[in-house]
Amino acid sequence: MAKVELKNIVRNYQAQLEDTALIEDKNRPALSNINLTIAEGEIVSVVGPSGCGKSTLLKVIAGLEFPDSGQVLYNDFDVTHVEPQKRGIGMVFQDYALYPTMKGQGNLHYYFEVHQRTQEEMDQRTREVAQIMGVGFDQLIGQNTTALSGGEQQRVAIARCIVRDPLIFLMDEPISNLDAKLRERTRIEIKRMLRKFKVTTLYVTHDQQEAIFMGDRIVVMRKGNIEQVGTFDELYYTPVNLFVATFIGSPPMSILPVSKQGNTLKIGDTSLEMLPISLEDGAYRLGVRSEGWELNNPQGVMMAVRHIERIPTEQASFIHGTVGGESVSVLAPLDQAQVSEIRVMPKWDQVYFFDASSEAALHTPSVPELF
Amino acid sequence: MLFPKVGRKEPRLRFAWYTVVAILLVGIFLHLLPFYFMITTSFKSAAETFAIPPTIWPENPNTSAWEFIFNVTTANSTSAQVRDIMPQPIGIYARNSVIMVFGALAISLPVTAFAAYANSKLQSGRSARWFFLFFIGTLMLPGAVTLIPSFLLTRNFPFPLPQTPMIPGTENPFPTVRIWDTPWAVIIPAAFNAFNFLLFKGFFDTIPNSIIQAARVDGGSEFNIFRRIVFPMSIPVFAVATWFQFSALWDSFLWPLVVFQSSDQIPMSVAVYNLINRFASAGATNSQQAMMQSQAMTELLDAGIGWPVLMVLGILQTIPIFLMFLVCREYLLKGVRLRGLR
Repeated sequence: MAKVELKNIVRNYQAQLEDTALIEDKNRPALSNINLTIAEGEIVSVVGPSGCGKSTLLKVIAGLEFPDSGQVLYNDFDVTHVEPQKRGIGMVFQDYALYPTMKGQGNLHYYFEVHQRTQEEMDQRTREVAQIMGVGFDQLIGQNTTALSGGEQQRVAIARCIVRDPLIFLMDEPISNLDAKLRERTRIEIKRMLRKFKVTTLYVTHDQQEAIFMGDRIVVMRKGNIEQVGTFDELYYTPVNLFVATFIGSPPMSILPVSKQGNTLKIGDTSLEMLPISLEDGAYRLGVRSEGWELNNPQGVMMAVRHIERIPTEQASFIHGTVGGESVSVLAPLDQAQVSEIRVMPKWDQVYFFDASSEAALHTPSVPELF
Repeated sequence: MLFPKVGRKEPRLRFAWYTVVAILLVGIFLHLLPFYFMITTSFKSAAETFAIPPTIWPENPNTSAWEFIFNVTTANSTSAQVRDIMPQPIGIYARNSVIMVFGALAISLPVTAFAAYANSKLQSGRSARWFFLFFIGTLMLPGAVTLIPSFLLTRNFPFPLPQTPMIPGTENPFPTVRIWDTPWAVIIPAAFNAFNFLLFKGFFDTIPNSIIQAARVDGGSEFNIFRRIVFPMSIPVFAVATWFQFSALWDSFLWPLVVFQSSDQIPMSVAVYNLINRFASAGATNSQQAMMQSQAMTELLDAGIGWPVLMVLGILQTIPIFLMFLVCREYLLKGVRLRGLR
């Protein structure tokens, strides 16, 4: 267990086009001025679009890449330029990265082998891990890793990672190669294990559902910068900018250009009466989440319906359409009838206001107190 | 598979199938024919080798040629003619070949594999690309171009110059080692093999970086990662590289001919060539030369060296390559499939 601290980390791209997702990204650093503190035993998930630097962040913490400037501290101890071999971390990769010529057992034992530990310690740790990993794991590690399915390979990879009792657990999209059902199960299993070990964990994913499920806190990254760090509620209800607001939540928040005059809000040609909000008059961007709309309100704006997406598992449906040319998604009951137009009204206690030109959030609902 | 198993009963497909088989059989026959003649001729008598039409099967199979080769154990035991043309017993030449080839393999395989691994996994970006081009660039130079500099290099190792340069400010030359006429003259130039470098690099590039990174996180040193994880994965590639270099070195002729002077250093390939050269060279431009050649020929024949003996030497020269192929076969096929070679 360890506290991890990142101070002003800057990491430039190596001039390798194939590693860079987008050509435009070549001209900016992979990580620019990252500051982040992860408390002991905390699980932090990192989300962001492709090429935002989340994997690079993980590699910098692991020591697989060294920052061009800045410091990495484990428990206040500077490890910025310590080799990954000496850091005592465990890492799980997206493609499992098992050693293909060894059996599962050999994969687990490699750590002990290179650290010249005793046979007894190795066997004992392997047994303990097999116990934690649950049913059938003993058979799993007796097989060649190439003969295992994706889920089984990932279990071995996670076991390889915990067998050494790591200081820090780093997971780079560990379950995104699994199929949906297995992903759900593995996700729960990993969470259970992390609870048990109370290891400081950094969990990188591009799936926000997964990030919400795994992380005590969530880091949202974009283009090498950390946009916001916080719990899911903080990110959801009080995003710091338009990017975080639209990135978190599914379907994404609808953004409409509006102009405010006193308590009147103009969306296109429609004027809406709103509750007083302490903002100056002027042009803004209004953000409304799908559940933040009131349906069939005669005073509302007219929404042209494109299609209605029914989600029986959630007992709900989404109406996708446009208001004044901007895409809007509205949450509706499952039995919503087919319509071509519908009047919708924002719920005024759930609206977000953003600056019309910059992305800054000017007004957001506060985090609801549930308990 | 050239043809899928389904639809074999289709007459046209069946015809195509047998056509392919027939063509392959002809190919196999053509390839094996020289070997057949080499082996049968080694059991013929010297006179029979010139029979027209050639005999398919030896009339009086005898092993005198084989006995001759293995009886030339010491130079003293036979006549002066034999001593002149085959000054050392065959075992010495074989030993020289083995030392030369395995010495070169023992150095070249690790050196080349490490270089390719470093280029593939430890370097990145522009420097990796330039190193790669530099090494591959050595493939572009024809051997004839490097022959003379290499020769000079063996005379005054490590200077590829006709004269050893002087240590600046003194009258003394730099210390040099003469590796000429020692096995090192073959081993050192073979220590890095650009073609194998390409082969290794191509394979190492297919190993995911995450495996190497996982091993680093596990605490393996770079060398340990190579030994315990990368090497077991790349055994088929090592087999292909070994095979290529083994056959190239075992049959190499020009370079050993240039660098080996003493008769107790030359490898099999050069010894066999010397003999064949003595035996088969004809092309006199005046009667005196023709006279001398026929004289030399008479001496050889008197000493008992005829085509059957040469065939025996040819077989002995071929056997190691065949054995090496048997050893590497399993991995070779895997490697060939892996790399899509040939």
